[in-house]
Amino acid sequence: MVILRRLISGFRRLIHKPRFERELDGELHAYLEAAIHRKVSAGMTRAEADRAARVEMGSIEAVKDGARDVGWESLVEAFWQDMRYAARLLWRNPLFAGTAAFSLAVGIGATTTIFTVANGLLLRAAPGVSDPRRLVDISRTERGQPISNPLIAYRTYLDLRERVSTLDALYAQQGQPEPMIMGKGRDAERIFATIVTASYFDVLGVSPAAGRLFGRGDSEERGASPIVVLSHGFWKRRFNADPSIVGQTLQLDGEPFTVVGVASEEFRGTSVVALDVWVPLSAKAFDNGFLTSRMPEWGLVGGRLKPDASIGQVAAELDAIGRALAADYPNESRGRGFLVANASPIPPSMRLVAAGFFALLMALVSLVLIITCANVAGILLARAAARRREIAVRIAIGAGRARVVRQLLTETLLLFLLGGSAGLLFARAMTSLLIKVLPAFEVPVALSLPLDGRVLAFALGLSLAAAVLSGLAPALHISKADVVTGLKDESQGPSDRLRVRNTFVVAQVAFGIVLVITAGVLGRAMGRVVSIDQGFDSRGVETASFDLSQAGYTNTTGLMFARELANRLRKMSGVQAVALADQVPPRGMSVGPLIAPGVAPPDEGPLSGAWNIVDTGYFETLRLPLVAGRDFNDGDRAGTQPVAIVAEAGARRLWPGQNPVGQRIQRQAMGADALGGLTTLEVIGVARDLRLVTRGGGPPPIVVYVPLQQKYTPHITILARMAEGQHATPAIGAVLRSLNADLPPATARPLDDESGPVQVQLRVAASVAASVGLVALLLAAMGIYGVTAYTVARRTREIGIRIAMGAQRSDIVRLVLGQGMVLVLVGCVIGLALAAAAGRLLTRLLFGASPLDPVAFGGAVVLFAVIGLAACYMPVRRATQIDAMEALRYE
Amino acid sequence: MAPADKQSGLVQGTLDMLILKTLGLEPMHGYGVGIRIEQISQGAFQVNAGSLFPAFRRLERDGLIRGEWRMTENNRRAKYYSLTAGGRATLRREMRDWRAQTAAIAMILQASLGEL
Repeated sequence: MVILRRLISGFRRLIHKPRFERELDGELHAYLEAAIHRKVSAGMTRAEADRAARVEMGSIEAVKDGARDVGWESLVEAFWQDMRYAARLLWRNPLFAGTAAFSLAVGIGATTTIFTVANGLLLRAAPGVSDPRRLVDISRTERGQPISNPLIAYRTYLDLRERVSTLDALYAQQGQPEPMIMGKGRDAERIFATIVTASYFDVLGVSPAAGRLFGRGDSEERGASPIVVLSHGFWKRRFNADPSIVGQTLQLDGEPFTVVGVASEEFRGTSVVALDVWVPLSAKAFDNGFLTSRMPEWGLVGGRLKPDASIGQVAAELDAIGRALAADYPNESRGRGFLVANASPIPPSMRLVAAGFFALLMALVSLVLIITCANVAGILLARAAARRREIAVRIAIGAGRARVVRQLLTETLLLFLLGGSAGLLFARAMTSLLIKVLPAFEVPVALSLPLDGRVLAFALGLSLAAAVLSGLAPALHISKADVVTGLKDESQGPSDRLRVRNTFVVAQVAFGIVLVITAGVLGRAMGRVVSIDQGFDSRGVETASFDLSQAGYTNTTGLMFARELANRLRKMSGVQAVALADQVPPRGMSVGPLIAPGVAPPDEGPLSGAWNIVDTGYFETLRLPLVAGRDFNDGDRAGTQPVAIVAEAGARRLWPGQNPVGQRIQRQAMGADALGGLTTLEVIGVARDLRLVTRGGGPPPIVVYVPLQQKYTPHITILARMAEGQHATPAIGAVLRSLNADLPPATARPLDDESGPVQVQLRVAASVAASVGLVALLLAAMGIYGVTAYTVARRTREIGIRIAMGAQRSDIVRLVLGQGMVLVLVGCVIGLALAAAAGRLLTRLLFGASPLDPVAFGGAVVLFAVIGLAACYMPVRRATQIDAMEALRYE
Repeated sequence: MAPADKQSGLVQGTLDMLILKTLGLEPMHGYGVGIRIEQISQGAFQVNAGSLFPAFRRLERDGLIRGEWRMTENNRRAKYYSLTAGGRATLRREMRDWRAQTAAIAMILQASLGEL
């Protein structure tokens, strides 16, 4: 009741402020009049009474202030007053305000950009779904550890659907985008489909832009009439957003699919790839094993929490289900478990790696923010020196120290809010730029990076924290100022202020050097990844991929076609060697189970192999030498003894100390392929290891090559080693035309292009570190210049005396330069120690980075020495040109 | 504000009660309240403007007193404060509490070992 009344009266006072002020004036006036009247009645003269009354009353302004200070509203008023005062001050010093706000905008903007990306990828579900907070993603674990391949077998999805009680409903989608051919022949177009369960749209709560979405009503049975839902982007791009497309049929992979609807514009799928259409699982032909085996790694699973369930309950239940499945189906599910997390575009098992990467980037940009803060703190401190007199006057006429600190902090706060808002705009621009400059991937990528409430809160909190951090030291420092010396306004301030400024400069140099070294280490690591001895020679090799099943080729015609294609290509000019393969390094291999008779599988679970299907000439084309045994030849064809070539490391692991040639291994189903039981393969050769840049725990899989003639795959990649300056795309186009093939034209890409995940990570990290390093360098230069120039100004008289006493120019140069370079030196030493520590962390996060790279370390030191000298140049010049006579008269 | 209270020798927190009491006798303007407290206390308490006006604001905000512009006996305009119903109730309560407290304090101060 009282609180409410106080609240209301406070608001009334804030709103009717002029009236309350008038009233208070009137009252005080009446008070004074009454006092004078009484004193006159007591016998004083009018003038005496007037003076006495005023003395008794004291300062009218102080009385008014006391009356105003009653109640909470006075705090609001004081804050507002401080804000206005601060705004006026900043307005009067546009250069200072501009520089400080700009550097803050860069610091806060860079940090917010990284946070926005991490937020969009890790913390929020893809847009266009309803109630995203209740959506979860389920990944797989192996031996309790998250694995990089999070895919779950379709049969396991069915198990989950049967057994889970804490989720309302589940959906699954094929992990890889499904390339499909729309239309026929030369007009055919390659599009990408997401293969999903019928429950997909229902569980996610997606709304249609036209027609309907398929749902629980649609059959999951095989051979149900094929239907397709278009993505909004595809609908607009390909069909000009024509609503009459609903109900029409499209030829996809030669089959008629009925278009039932178009998904809403916001919804572009649950991951970062934006595909063209969604096709229900029932429309895709799978081999029998796909439905019954719990082995194939097929898809991503997600679900919606029941209203009363928490994610912790789901995790507990999935744990139990994982154990039950492992007990029920030990051969297939031993060691396997589940991982559940709130839905986001990155599957749960990959989030840790992604989060580590973002943490690295965040650490880099945070350093810049810290440097910015140190810089602004330095500027504030310098300004504070200029304002000592003003502050001293304010303290002398009765402003409390706390009040002064509050005023100074408000100024800083205003500055940081300006910087923060500019930083937010900067982040907005950076994220949209980021989306535009994404490297072109084979599959369209959709990133949704909104500036949501979380990002706003982050930027605001960051600005406030930064303001307090960099504003508090200067504010406390000035408020300690001694009133008497302050009022005397000696230009020589206390030397500990200089010490504080020196500390800031040392911090700037130290953190700057960490950033520059990091950028150097990453940049050099990037070079190393490209030039690393991969075990094969990737330079000059270009690749193009086809899906022969889409063009109607069968197992027999497909093989003949592919080999004919390769033969004709070999005859083209500029082509040195050609080979066919299922997969090409380093983009990946199909990981699948492997059995080696007589070799006990490790306790944790079945052995797994990284399988690749290659045709003859593969090792030659890649210049990947065989270290034992023989290469595949034309004799290794269907009907003869199945053979395999194993890579060195795998051979050592399976048969340590024995000759691998002649050993036997067995292959089970791979991916969604046929589960044709076990095939026993004889090892005929050992290939050199591929030194692929990979990261992560666990032993690497055993790399096994099998011949294309014995294991047909419709996914064919052509590898062509080209003469220097030649490109494979025109040659492949010409060969396709001469073969009159029904294949859509393909673009060949160089094998050593830099779009591999490791290269992309290194490149992003290196460019972030380099750009923030540059900013850090500039800021450090500004800091060194500022502090040296200030010293010269402060010591003008002393330098004048030295010159008068006969000091040489070189002595003065040494004096001033020493002052500045000592800071650089101390900063460098601290920075080098920090960078060495950071380097250890870096090598753990990013492959190929060497922690104590002498070039990066030495280069950074030289760079900072040069920057330090350059920053000292102007002050040194000024110092040597000091005129002794003038300086002695200098105040 | 606080130093002024100390100068006038007023026990902290009793100024509001004294003002309420004074206004309980008759409605009064600001200067009059100060003079009245000084007179009744025979000069022991001198309350200056710096203490009075914040107290008026406080009491007014809490709805214990109410101000009204009127003409004084000297034909000047002044803001007269008077007690509200809530103010009277608060005054009664505070007087009761004060008497109880001072009585208790007096007993403690008069205590000698024999009575325990």
